Amino acid sequence: MTSLLLMVGVTLANLVPGDPVAAALGQRAAEDPATVARFTAEYGLDKPLPAQYVSYVGNLIQGDLGVSTTTHNSVTSDLGEALPATIEIAIGAIVLSVIIGVSLGTIAAYRRGRTADHVLRLVSLAGLSVPTFWLALVAYYVLYFKLHIAPASGRLSSDFNAPPQVTGLYTVDSLIAGQLDTFLDAAWHLMLPVLVLTLYTVGLLTRFVRTAVLEVLDQDYVRAARAKGLPARTIVTSYVLRGASIPVLTVVGLAFGSLLSGTVLVESVFSWPGIGSYAYQAASHLDLPGVMGVGLTIGLVYLLVNLAVDLLYGFLDPRVRLA
Amino acid sequence: MEFRSRKTRRAVVVAVMALPIALTGCSSGKIDSGDGLRTLTIDKTFDLKTADPGRQYEPTGQLVGKALYQTLLTFEGTDVTEVVPGLATLEQSDDATTFTLTLTGSPKFSDDSAMTADDVVFSLQRVIGMKGNPSFLLAGVTVKKTDDKTVVLTTDKPTPALPAILANPALGIVNSKVVKAHGGTTTEADAAEKYLNTHSAGSGPYVLDSLNLSSKVVLKANENYTGDEPAFGRVVIQNVEGATQKINVEGGSADVALDLSGTQAKGLGSSVDVTSGPSANVIFLLLNQNKKISTITSNPDFVKAVKSAIDYDDLVELAGAGTSRAAGVIPSALLGALDVADAPKLDLTAAKAALAKSDYDGESVTLNFPSDLTLNGLEFPTIAQRIQSQLKAVGIKVDLAPAAVATELDAYREGKEIMGLWYWGPDYPDPSDYLVFTPGDVVGLRSGWAKGADETVSALATKAAAGGSDEERKANFEELQKALNESGPFIPLVQPGNNIAASSDITNVGYNPVWTVDIATLGSK
Repeated sequence: MTSLLLMVGVTLANLVPGDPVAAALGQRAAEDPATVARFTAEYGLDKPLPAQYVSYVGNLIQGDLGVSTTTHNSVTSDLGEALPATIEIAIGAIVLSVIIGVSLGTIAAYRRGRTADHVLRLVSLAGLSVPTFWLALVAYYVLYFKLHIAPASGRLSSDFNAPPQVTGLYTVDSLIAGQLDTFLDAAWHLMLPVLVLTLYTVGLLTRFVRTAVLEVLDQDYVRAARAKGLPARTIVTSYVLRGASIPVLTVVGLAFGSLLSGTVLVESVFSWPGIGSYAYQAASHLDLPGVMGVGLTIGLVYLLVNLAVDLLYGFLDPRVRLA
Repeated sequence: MEFRSRKTRRAVVVAVMALPIALTGCSSGKIDSGDGLRTLTIDKTFDLKTADPGRQYEPTGQLVGKALYQTLLTFEGTDVTEVVPGLATLEQSDDATTFTLTLTGSPKFSDDSAMTADDVVFSLQRVIGMKGNPSFLLAGVTVKKTDDKTVVLTTDKPTPALPAILANPALGIVNSKVVKAHGGTTTEADAAEKYLNTHSAGSGPYVLDSLNLSSKVVLKANENYTGDEPAFGRVVIQNVEGATQKINVEGGSADVALDLSGTQAKGLGSSVDVTSGPSANVIFLLLNQNKKISTITSNPDFVKAVKSAIDYDDLVELAGAGTSRAAGVIPSALLGALDVADAPKLDLTAAKAALAKSDYDGESVTLNFPSDLTLNGLEFPTIAQRIQSQLKAVGIKVDLAPAAVATELDAYREGKEIMGLWYWGPDYPDPSDYLVFTPGDVVGLRSGWAKGADETVSALATKAAAGGSDEERKANFEELQKALNESGPFIPLVQPGNNIAASSDITNVGYNPVWTVDIATLGSK
């Protein structure tokens, strides 16, 4: 899977109809053949594609994603700075989405065919259909500019310094450093991007949870629980949600991955310096190592999240462990 | 998650309740400058690649470089027609080949060490030797020190533009001892960029506090600056997209927004003042003169037809606040700019007559343009669509061929575009930068205009390049542009407006084509 991702990535990156050397050097420096030759050799762009692939994989094994032609930093260190910013909003959005999505999906399933079900299905459809970029701008305009209940863009207010880096998550790092005011400011700044991303993911989850819960509600063991006269709360938590948890967990894993890759426009609106912004900058400068680095990182996170999801299946359903 | 035991649940509740108590007496992450000077926040859409003055050549880099490093010569405020002394005074030979610069005052670097002629020589030689993006500025220039206060620059041919070039922040003077200690050399082996991206080594009003190339640059006042103390002790320049900039400056979270389009600049609240005016960028259309690329666009009558068929006033209106008509390739802020009366004009009758004389028989002409390029808030696809509809009115069929700027640039540079929509921003504010539009030069070749293709224009270009007094140069460049408008393959369209929106308590806001805004001169009511 990873090899395929690598091969496709390296090949596509090199098939882009543009000159990465000219883009990196700038118009004037790119007119000097000696400078172009030096840069081309320095970044290994003079080698044939298979040799570039081998060299890239060789470096990758050692944890080296190459050097960004835009920032001149190692891509690994650039991503080390950008990824936590994205992870921070992705975690916030996924936690909120699960809480809201599971609740709404369950309510919709229990109220199947009634007004509440129709309303919730419409809401989830709207959440999925509205462009996140537009939603982000509207949310920013209304909540920050009109109502003054949300902060301005960025991860922190301009009169705050970033906390000393430990995890890269400002909320966590500020607590580690004992900076309560920074923590509150960072948490406040998380609100809008998290809210916008949540609205999209909630739409997705509500629909899936509704379908999964409806399937479980038709199962004999749920009917038996009802017949025994168990309280509704026990039936929902111990029988229905537990039964629906496997398909829901699968969707949560996929949603987390798509949150990471789908933050480009949201990060742009909220000036959020995550991998979405980094990917946009790298792509617009034809920074092939940067683009590859982001692609591989998102791919890797997908793999890890799916692995975690697979492992969680065993905890949720003992039959999986036995199988 | 389910808390299986009462013990676990109790532990979590206690931990959550204890958190505020544990955090009592925490340290603060808020900045306290302690000097009573407030923080200035500037929103800018970043194109930042480095904070190393010798390597930067992008608008954001120039904005930052101007605050961190001083140059030998400079411009006063927004006027770029006259070069004034900066760190040094200038004596220039009549033939514009020898330039004697004498350091004045007692400038100090941010580490409190004094600046000498050695620092000047190292800084300029480093820019030349590193072969970075701004190295072309000093191509053919030799730098020598004659004493501790004097440096002489000699050029291999008359270079009347050199004083204007020396005002570029890319030629800011660095502390040679510090830079050398961190890998700085005057060759391609220079390795000081990493250091200069985390620390500054200049004598400007600010020093670099932190830099993130994709999100934020923080500057703080240089305690050893020998000039006037800046009004703001700390400056945060943050990477913000245009639409968000508008909301930020209106909402008060940003003091200055630098990238508002003409449309966005309209209707801002009373707490925001907008300074609008034409930028120094000129958007132009090129028609390829290479017959192998196109037999249609290389026909002089077809070029005349297109020049007469464009509704220039309509384009100005489309571009919005601050936009002005581009009379020639040289923008209005520079010496030698043409009066609007000399610009090509809309004349549908003349367009139809010229088209009838050309061999055009209704076939499609491809117009290439960068689909993702936005200049001063003006999107290129919007202009391309308007040109398409204007040319259609006289019977010219245009096929739009948009492509990402990174890819379309190749076709443009290689002279493969039949019709192209591009812009030119001055490398330095001197008309000689526009000689590239003549036959056989960089942009001339991009439009298939080879050397010798137009002897009249080439002769005028040679005359203009020779130098002379300001009056002579002004007359020569005006004459050259009139000839370019008459027979050249370029059609100057508009100078898109530059709109700077600033909180109404910010004073001294003005647009400079080289460094956009001089941060150190901004004030507060």
